[in-house]
Amino acid sequence: MKIPEDFKTRLKIAKLKIKKQDQLDSEKRGLFLGGAFKLGTELVSAVAVGTIIGFILDSWFDTKPWLIIIFFFLGAAAGILNVIRAANKMQKENNK
Amino acid sequence: MQQFSVHKIGPEINIGGVDLSFTNASLFMVISAAIILLFLFVGTKEKKIVPGKVQLIAEMFYTFVAKMISDTAGSKAKPYFPFIFSLFMFVLFCNMVGMLPYSFTVTSHIIVTLIMALFIFIAVTIIGFAKHGFKYLSIFVPSGVPAVLLPLITVIEIISYLSRPVSLSVRLFANMMAGHTMLKVFGGFVISLGLLGGWLPLGFSVALTGLEILVAFLQAYVFAILTCIYLNDALNLHH
Repeated sequence: MKIPEDFKTRLKIAKLKIKKQDQLDSEKRGLFLGGAFKLGTELVSAVAVGTIIGFILDSWFDTKPWLIIIFFFLGAAAGILNVIRAANKMQKENNK
Repeated sequence: MQQFSVHKIGPEINIGGVDLSFTNASLFMVISAAIILLFLFVGTKEKKIVPGKVQLIAEMFYTFVAKMISDTAGSKAKPYFPFIFSLFMFVLFCNMVGMLPYSFTVTSHIIVTLIMALFIFIAVTIIGFAKHGFKYLSIFVPSGVPAVLLPLITVIEIISYLSRPVSLSVRLFANMMAGHTMLKVFGGFVISLGLLGGWLPLGFSVALTGLEILVAFLQAYVFAILTCIYLNDALNLHH
């Protein structure tokens, strides 16, 4: 059976379209990966900063170990807040 | 590890008790900056309507950063384009130069990334206060919070604000350092397993090199886009 010429060109165009879409998807995937890398450190750094602030305040006011405990949890809360915010922002961008 | 060690090149310079000697870290910063300058100089020398290869890449970087700024920080952030562009290019080229064998990765040292992050943090804070005065402090007080919870939330917000430079610098430093260490470990496996078993880790090394190049680009992108986001918070209060 002979394949008609116009079918061949149509196939070529369709294949090109799929390739373009794939390229776009892989570009997007790269950007998502960037977002994923972002979230992990966001959580940890806030906990670290909270603990350091607690440690400094403790040595100022001589209240070891109470402030370090309180600020550790405040830092964890700040970290979760950071992650929620970043995730919300990413979601908004996706829906755009 | 040997690839992360900083050593002095040339004479020791000591000004006022501060060691300002030229090190291999400074050398690779200079090399990165020189490559950027050379690349952009060649890329913008001939302003053709139909761009050549170098011009095309240079223009791609330009539009990439310009789009990133307008998407995340809006039109008010336009004046800061040169700063963010330089930042992005510097981080990107430092990461990429670090991928070459026998080179030194400047961004795998926390002091380098921390100084950049602290500069951004302080600059953004100054911009915020300059644009809004003491109203800028209202970013620590989110709207619609019951009065009982307000002190607690404010403390959490302040911690969250202070954690910005830490997360910004640690992310870049940790990613670069971890990647290079992993490459080194797999390279070590190749040597210790010899001709018989060394092929598998060698394959991993090749794959990891590809991944590292992706990470090098992504981290520069994340660094720049987070700067844009912080700038956006400072420029447009209550987004």
